[in-house]
Amino acid sequence: MATAQPSAVYTLRPGVPPLRAGQGTTFLFRKLHSLLGVIPIGAFLIEHLLSNFEALKGPAAYGAQVRFLNSLPLVRILEWTFIFLPLLYHGIYGVYIWLRGKSNLVYYPWSGNWMYTAQRYTGLIAILYIGQHVLRQRFLGVQLPEHPYAAFAKVQHELANPWMLAVYIIAMIAICWHFSYGIWLFAAKWGITPGVTARKRFGLACAALGLVLLVMGLASIWAFVGPNYKNAPEDATPAVSLFISPADVRGVSTGMAPSSQLAARS
Amino acid sequence: MANKSVAFEIKRQANPDAPAVWESFELEWRPSMNVVSAMMEIAANPVTADGRPTTPITYDCNCMEEICGSCAMRINGKARMACSALIDNLEQPIRIEPLSKFPLVRDLQVDRSVLFENLMAVKAWVPVDGTYDLGSGPRVFPQQQEANYPLSNCISCCCCMDVCPQFNEDTGFVGAATIAQVKLFNNHPTGKVFKEDRLRALAGDGGIQECGFAQNCVDTCPKQIPLTNAISDISRDVIIQKAKDFLRG
Repeated sequence: MATAQPSAVYTLRPGVPPLRAGQGTTFLFRKLHSLLGVIPIGAFLIEHLLSNFEALKGPAAYGAQVRFLNSLPLVRILEWTFIFLPLLYHGIYGVYIWLRGKSNLVYYPWSGNWMYTAQRYTGLIAILYIGQHVLRQRFLGVQLPEHPYAAFAKVQHELANPWMLAVYIIAMIAICWHFSYGIWLFAAKWGITPGVTARKRFGLACAALGLVLLVMGLASIWAFVGPNYKNAPEDATPAVSLFISPADVRGVSTGMAPSSQLAARS
Repeated sequence: MANKSVAFEIKRQANPDAPAVWESFELEWRPSMNVVSAMMEIAANPVTADGRPTTPITYDCNCMEEICGSCAMRINGKARMACSALIDNLEQPIRIEPLSKFPLVRDLQVDRSVLFENLMAVKAWVPVDGTYDLGSGPRVFPQQQEANYPLSNCISCCCCMDVCPQFNEDTGFVGAATIAQVKLFNNHPTGKVFKEDRLRALAGDGGIQECGFAQNCVDTCPKQIPLTNAISDISRDVIIQKAKDFLRG
């Protein structure tokens, strides 16, 4: 009789580790990443796109907006605390999140999974774009904090390069997508929209917000490259007149009170 | 009527260290055939499509009515229960693989014990054991029962985990099933006693924060458990619990 072969003992691969209940710090870091994406980064994005929209009124109005922002108290501290450092953290931790996820879109090409993947690619586009944008527009070239009225011309020169224009348009689309889906994700993952219908409705609201921001953003780009303000002056500082305006002179000569006095009387 | 046949391609692996190989099988079509019944037929006559004798396929299965949770595997690329995978609804050749994220034992059999370790880590039970009769528990209102019933349907098949891009060895994510069970037991009037422990556990590494809301879990769940709703609700509870702990600390 043949002796029974001793059966081989195999060790299983370790597989996915179980939950480290209550241990570690990823909860804090991940929630910080999520929160910073909405406040202050998302809030700043809206501010930035609103400010850009001033470009449609021309170089002087745009310069005035840049001047206003740079005149905020403690502006350099605000800039670092609420823009640069949060952006840096959100970007670096975002890449870390991406690297730890294993996309399976090939097997499960479902809408949520598409959005999950799109959020990672649009985030990467945003990081690369914002990196060069901050470097070239904020730190290199004409210093806008000191020369706010040079802003329009500086951006116009940048967008004169068709490649750069394409980069700005692609980044505008990617960032508006990333932000609008980001706030949808925020609401879902912080338990603000725990219901399917609530998420659907909020999704429509986020899509609408994203579209509005995108249209505003693209319109501002148009202001720089379109026919309205071609060859903007390097310095768009408005001339300040020390003389009484002709309108007031005319008012006096015809015996009419200047409009300000009329308003005061009524 | 000429007999129709059904073609299968099944991924085989003799042991955890052996190389994976694909084997083709061809069976005669029968009404109401499903993937498990097909593999039972292969076991009765283990011969590949090209006439080569082979071993019966190893797989987990028990109830044949999508209630025991054993027979989860990837069929045509998607994780699902083999017993409810009717042959007539599948594109051929039907490709069958083991779940992708769990340690392989043999062929289609994988070790899914990580789910049970996760359920233990979050105390997914109602504590009623004791040395004397505790009497009847508090009353659960019908409205609460309605809300809990879908969550209680979980069959621990692990499909939600296999399809999750965040469930992997780097994150060690706990997965949707465990989070839904936390909601179920936190809703229970007696189970509630561990509510804070469960929420704190889920804030650990690999906890609820790793969810990327790709929503594959809820799309794939064979029991249609509202997994994303549970993740959203429990996320909020965990955040509030951590904030309370921080402020009281």
